[in-house]
Amino acid sequence: MSQQTSRRPKRGLLVAVAILTLIPFVALAAVPTYVTTKPEISGLPFFYWYQLMWLFLAAALFGTAAYLYNKYGGE
Amino acid sequence: MLALSGIIVWIVLLVVFIILGFLGRLWKKGDLSKLDEWALGGRRFSAWIVWFLVGADLYTAYTFIAIPSSVFSIGAIYYFAVPYVAVTFGIAMWAMPKLWKVSKEKGFVTAADFVKFNFNSRNLAILVAIVGIVAELPYIGLQIVGMISVLTVMLIGLGSLKLVVDLALIISFIILAVFTYFSGLRGATLTAIFKDIIILTSVVLVIVVAALTIGFTKSFSSLPVKYYHILPLQVNAYWSLFLMSALALYLYPHAVTGSLSAKSPKSLRMSQSLLPLYGVGLALLALFGILVYGDHAALTFLKDTFPAASRGTYVVPALIFYTLPAPLTGFAFLGIFIGGLVPASIMAIAQSNLLTRNILKEMYPKMSQLREALASKISMIVFLFIAVGFVFLFPLTYSVQLQLLGGIIILQTLPSLFLGMVTNKLNKYSLMTGLLVGLGLGIYWMEVANHFRTWTTTLLPISPAVGSLFIGFLALSANLIIVIIGSLIALPFSKK
Repeated sequence: MSQQTSRRPKRGLLVAVAILTLIPFVALAAVPTYVTTKPEISGLPFFYWYQLMWLFLAAALFGTAAYLYNKYGGE
Repeated sequence: MLALSGIIVWIVLLVVFIILGFLGRLWKKGDLSKLDEWALGGRRFSAWIVWFLVGADLYTAYTFIAIPSSVFSIGAIYYFAVPYVAVTFGIAMWAMPKLWKVSKEKGFVTAADFVKFNFNSRNLAILVAIVGIVAELPYIGLQIVGMISVLTVMLIGLGSLKLVVDLALIISFIILAVFTYFSGLRGATLTAIFKDIIILTSVVLVIVVAALTIGFTKSFSSLPVKYYHILPLQVNAYWSLFLMSALALYLYPHAVTGSLSAKSPKSLRMSQSLLPLYGVGLALLALFGILVYGDHAALTFLKDTFPAASRGTYVVPALIFYTLPAPLTGFAFLGIFIGGLVPASIMAIAQSNLLTRNILKEMYPKMSQLREALASKISMIVFLFIAVGFVFLFPLTYSVQLQLLGGIIILQTLPSLFLGMVTNKLNKYSLMTGLLVGLGLGIYWMEVANHFRTWTTTLLPISPAVGSLFIGFLALSANLIIVIIGSLIALPFSKK
């Protein structure tokens, strides 16, 4: 029984890691949502700092997904 | 020309760096006459080392030179590199551990090994290997552009611009060939860490000094709207560029090499998932293309010294030169120089792996291991020579197109590799046809998009309503349609 669970990850875990992984793709593929100048951060248009911010968010979301999968999933 | 103190710092650090590369051969020592020891580091690298090794593929001349050059000369659309880096590891963290597991089990070293086993087709594997080798050539060419550009700014004034560029090319090539021949993947990895420390320090120094003394408000003030953000008509070009780049990165042979050198699938997954952080430096460097507009001295230098066709390439070196004192400039320039050197070397190693394992060994199965390793080392130098021919394929300002051209080519192996991991229903002849048609259409569309003249773009205008799309997306779509239809037709006949 325990062998089986370690080989085949639970469905809930798979859904969770899939969602965590997909969020950055969806947010960044929605290009028109960030094609704008305002609000600026010390002169830097929204277009630039918003995508820069997603680098941090993507690492956090992917990192969480990897951690969960490595811990509770299979290999 | 850079002051003597700067040049001394540059040379001393280069010597330290080359010694490190040689010492790398001794580090976690294995029998280097065997190919997978020399090329995969014996699959012993931990999460942190893989993080640096794959990150080193990211901090290349693409990041330092090509993207800032394009942002500087064309505008915000070339900021697509940031979302590209943000999402590409979301693909890699799932695909690469899977490839790692099969590869460990079956003793694979390259993606073509996987294809050969999966589709039981020697010809498809050879085709994938050849496409991999060819796709790396323009990418290596881009790394050499990066090395040339720092040397040019360092040595400018020594003679005419042409003389300086030629000299820079010769010096770059010699250092690259010697380094690659002697260090192998271990040397490249050890030095990747050294390189990244230099680069991160330089980027932070320049961004702090430049952002404080120049500021974005001043830099943007003279620029048209296409620099503030992309234009509504560029939306389709933007997503097609970043999504296709994200899909392409891990199809490159060198990315596969880096991933397979990890010690376990879990450590590989963890290191991949955190790599978007590496992109922060890339985003800041892209902004140098904007910041330079606020630096009067750097801008005047660029406009007076270089024609528009090559000016962009010198943006980052020029901004560093005018922002930092000479010794620190020498330090940063070495970072950029080896930022081209290490990836070019990793790419050439990957190419020679493919050649020996998937092409030569198929033809001469009885080749000894010693001879295999020797063929690998010699072919590497030959590939570097060929890559030099790609350096001037695009005017230097548009050197990012070298990477995108590599992308158009390597994307055609996506069905064989990525789809091959999730389904076994694909037909090998459809895969071969799709790959070749995708390549042919890709090159044809390149010619159409550039009006059969000098190549400067990889975007094909579609219609006034749609705008342009990245040719890699169009060619991959054609490829996929052929693969899917062909496999559906073949399916009823494939039952045993």
